[in-house]
Order: sequence, then structure tokens, then C-alpha cells
Amino acid sequence: MKRGYVILDHPADMGIEAYGKNLKEAFEEAAIALNSIILDLTTVEPIQHRKIEIKASDYEHLLVKWLSEILYLYDGDNFVCCEFDIEDLNPNFLKAEVKGEIFNNQKHQTKLDVKAVTYHQILVCENSERGLVRVFLDI
Amino acid sequence: MIQKIDDYRFLIPKSYKTGMRIDGLIYADEEMIKHIEKDQTKEQVANVATLPGMIGRSLAMPDAHQGYGFCIGGVAAADIEEGVVSAGGVGFDINCGVRLLSSPFMENEVRPKLEQLLNQLFRDIPCGTGRSGLLEVTKAELDNVLIDGASWAVRNGYGNEEDLKHIEEYGKIPGADPSLVSSRAKERGHDQLGTLGSGNHFLEIQVVSEVYDEETAKNFGMRKNQIVVLIHSGSRGLGHQVCTDYLDIMQEGMKKYGIKVVDRQLACVPIKSKEGKDYLAAMAAAANFAFANRQMITHWTREAFQRIMGNGDLKIVYDVCHNIAKFEEHDIDPEIFGTDGGKKKVLVHRKGATRAFPKGHKALPEELQKFGQPVLIPGSMGTCSYVLVGTEQAMKETFGSSCHGAGRAMSRAQAKRETSAEKLLQQMKSQNILVRAQTKSGLTEEKPDAYKNVSEVVEVVHNAGIAKKVAKMTPIAVMKG
Repeated sequence: MKRGYVILDHPADMGIEAYGKNLKEAFEEAAIALNSIILDLTTVEPIQHRKIEIKASDYEHLLVKWLSEILYLYDGDNFVCCEFDIEDLNPNFLKAEVKGEIFNNQKHQTKLDVKAVTYHQILVCENSERGLVRVFLDI
Repeated sequence: MIQKIDDYRFLIPKSYKTGMRIDGLIYADEEMIKHIEKDQTKEQVANVATLPGMIGRSLAMPDAHQGYGFCIGGVAAADIEEGVVSAGGVGFDINCGVRLLSSPFMENEVRPKLEQLLNQLFRDIPCGTGRSGLLEVTKAELDNVLIDGASWAVRNGYGNEEDLKHIEEYGKIPGADPSLVSSRAKERGHDQLGTLGSGNHFLEIQVVSEVYDEETAKNFGMRKNQIVVLIHSGSRGLGHQVCTDYLDIMQEGMKKYGIKVVDRQLACVPIKSKEGKDYLAAMAAAANFAFANRQMITHWTREAFQRIMGNGDLKIVYDVCHNIAKFEEHDIDPEIFGTDGGKKKVLVHRKGATRAFPKGHKALPEELQKFGQPVLIPGSMGTCSYVLVGTEQAMKETFGSSCHGAGRAMSRAQAKRETSAEKLLQQMKSQNILVRAQTKSGLTEEKPDAYKNVSEVVEVVHNAGIAKKVAKMTPIAVMKG
């Protein structure tokens, strides 16, 4: 099963459908998709790393918090990531290491500001062969 | 099924969906309602009607389109005692709003220097994706911004006391508590003060191209062929993070208070609960950030006019919030709503809607009491915008609210597929409109026909009587993120 993502149309904004051989990959792909919407990921190098740990009440909650964390790293902490490695994932917990570098407007080409991650039509599903997530962003 | 009440009102009766506590109503004409029915707007209006303590009707303005939880263009009022507040009902861009400035110049005076003027504005006002503004306030100073809003800006040399009278809530929503705004929100916002942002945010130099109501226009300081400036911006990353934080708090709060919602994005808590009060205090802080933001942009606009035109005496016609929840007193008409009547204190959620108070309303400053509140309706990029005035009819049936703009009709991706930036710039040039934009993609996503026709939206509002047309403006220069 290949991994990847597609960008979904929404009358107001934009959505992400990300998939992989399991949920771990799908969550990682969703983060790649989010940052690809924000900026040109090919301009980002994996120079530094950050550890992320998130607690949540279920997978949907976890997905919103995970992507909100990545968004905050960029918009609040000035850190843009290009590589995402989820080390541990269950419905209530996510542990990951992300790699990237400090944002530099001379080097990094921004594309779009993402305001936030929403629960609108959110979807997290998994079977033995495949993980799939869907989430909409407020632009 | 939707029931047509008259040419501009379509009712979604309580029987439409299980759990609806009140009716829904969409303002639209025959053509618009067909479009509105294509997406989830109708369902979202019905979903809002299921929330605890909602009174009157769950409303959608003619610019309504599918949003998250609430539709964009939605208005809903909650009883203060039994009702709920929903962070999603205000939206991520808290106090996204518009401000109109009237200039002492006529079109023929500005035209020869228009390019210089636009370039100056583009240099002086930070815009586009990313972060920084011209100044970075300390954390302690940011708290003062969050408490005092536009008056903080005035105190620090951005504008004058007179400006404050012409801002909704006088530029400061009371009850703001910076300690309830997370450090993350402050981190996202502290260097974004005085920035326009990207997306649908813009600054336009416009000409008053038509006046429908001379007397009211005069009261607003507007006349035909006059140059005005329209500013559309919000609370930037700070507001987005406040909403994100409280959506999370409200998810947990719903379990505590035993509230179930049909869509998680509608997460809400009782207005009187700790979580509800905390959200409203944080929301007020974010709203005040947006007021200060627009006040600073106003100051730089005046400086640019001073430098290029030799006179920076631009007056604020008005400044309105598009995304906000406000405590207001309303007289509930039992005949309209089919419920108990009488004066009631309510929390009005306006998500992509504008307050439209009539003449004589005590929330307005003395000089606007005689005519009513200016209602500012920006069109999409390169199309026209409108100034309307609030009415008694709006007080009766929409909790003193009206539409907020054109409303998207096409997704961003579709807009991009259909137009190139070059083609769009060419089109604007042929209309004699100058454009400066930070990114090309931002430009195509906001292309004019990605939105509904603002004139049709305004016509419905005018004919339904929930605001009346005063003047129309046509852009001659556009600055975008």
C-alpha cells in the first residue's frame, strides 16, 4: 500500500486526505500535506529536531491536536518541519520526532497562511492493510 | 423541506431535523437559494438550531456558504441563563472585520498619484503570509493591547480619540482577560500586530461610485466621487490560537455538562459556566487585538496619504466585526418567532455577519444616533463594496444583524484551476484597477468570480429590509497578502 495525500476542495477552505499502510503513516502524511500547503517543502532541510508528545481523548481529537502542534511550531515557534517520524500512536497518545529548521524568509518560500485545524467532517479509519485520515483546515 | 415565506425569506422548520429547538431562516432570492442548497449550509443552519438555549431563529444571510460547524453568514442568539457559547460559532479569525476611511480627496485628485500611493501603502503596511509586523510588543505590553484594543493604539500615537467613537464597541470589548489567553496564542500574535495578513484580507482604495441615500451618506461623511479606503483584517495568529485552544477546552466541557452536539466543530459550553466565561474573556482579548490591528493599519494609511497626497486627514466612517459573540438586549417579537416575547439579554453569535443597529440605538455614538449604524459590506477583490445602514427591521428579526460580504461560491482549488495570476492581473488592468499582491497564488484564490455577486447579496438584504443601501464603492487600487 502506497502512502501519500490528496488536497480536497471545500467551498470556503481546504481539506487533506492522507493515507498509508497504517494510521501512523497516514498521520505523518497529513503533517506533510499541511506543511506543503503552508510552504514549499523542498526549501526546508532537516537540520534540527523536536520531540512531540500529545494526549487526547480519541483518534480524531489526536489528529486535530497533532496538526495544530505542527502549525504552532511554524506560526508560534518559528520552526518549519519537513520530516515526521511518529514513534508511538494509540487513540489517546502520540509521540513523534520531527525534523526541520528555523524559519528563514530568505530561504523558505511561503504559500498560504493556515489559520487552524477543524473537526469538520473529520475521519480517522484503519483496517489491517490501510490507514486513512481526513481533516479540513481553515485558511 | 425548505418553505418559501416571501421573495427573500426561506424557512427551515423545526420539523426539518430531529433535535432542532427553533426554526432556521435563510435570507436569499430564488436563484441564491438554489446555490445555497448545493452545499451543507442548510444542514449547518439546522444543526445550530439544535444547540441548547438558542432562541428566535437560526439565521443565514444571503452571502451564506458552508463553513465549519456554523455556516459562514450565520447568526444565532443564545439565552444567557440557559444558552451556550460556541467557539466555533465565532470562528477562528476572531473579530475579523472591516473598517472604512473617508478621505478629503476626490477621484481626479488621487488618480495621477495612485501608483505612488499604492506603492507607499504596500511598503508601509506589512502583509502576506508569514509573521512579522513592523513592531514587536513585549509580553507585558501585549496584555495592555488585549485589554484596551484600539484605545491602546491611540494612546501609543496611532490615531486619535475621535476615532474610537466610530468603532463597534468603541474599539474595546469589555471583560477581556489576557491571563485567559494562552502563551501560545500570545507567541503567535506578539509580532503580528499591525499586519494585514493573507487569504481574503485586503486594503483597497475605492471611489464612491453611487450614492443611494444622500442624507445618510452625508452623515457618514461620504459623497460621490470621493476617495475612501477599505481595510479588511482580523486578529491574526493570536485569534486563531484562542479559538483552537477553547475548542479543545469545550470538547472536554461538553462531557462535564452533558451536552451532545451533532457536529464536533459546534463544541459549546453553558454561557454561565467557568469555561464559557473564560472563553468570552479570551475572545474579547482577541477581538481587542484585532481592533488595535486595524487602528495601526489606519495610522499607516494616513501617513502614506500625508506623504504622497500632502494630507493624511482620513476619518473613520465605521469599523465592524464580522466574527464575534456579543451580549446584547433584544426585544423578542412573539409574532415573528412564534415563541414567548419580551426584552431578553442574549449572546448573539455572528459568524460572517455584521451588526446592523438602527437609528436611536444607545450603543451608537451621538452623531450616528440620528441615522443608524454604518454597515460595511466588502465585495470580492476588484468588484464593488457597499455601505448600508442598520434598520428597525433587523432589530426585529435578525438580532440587529446583516450580511458581511459576497460569500465564496468557488473553492480555492477551483479558482486556481480556472485562472492564472497573469490573466487576472490583465483583467484588473483592463478595469483600470491597480494591484499589488505578495503572492500570485493568493491572488487567484481570491479572484472576483470565486465569490457570489456582492450586488445581488446586498439587494436581498436591502429588499428584506434588514439594512438599507447608502452608497456603493468601486475599487481603483488593491493591496493583498
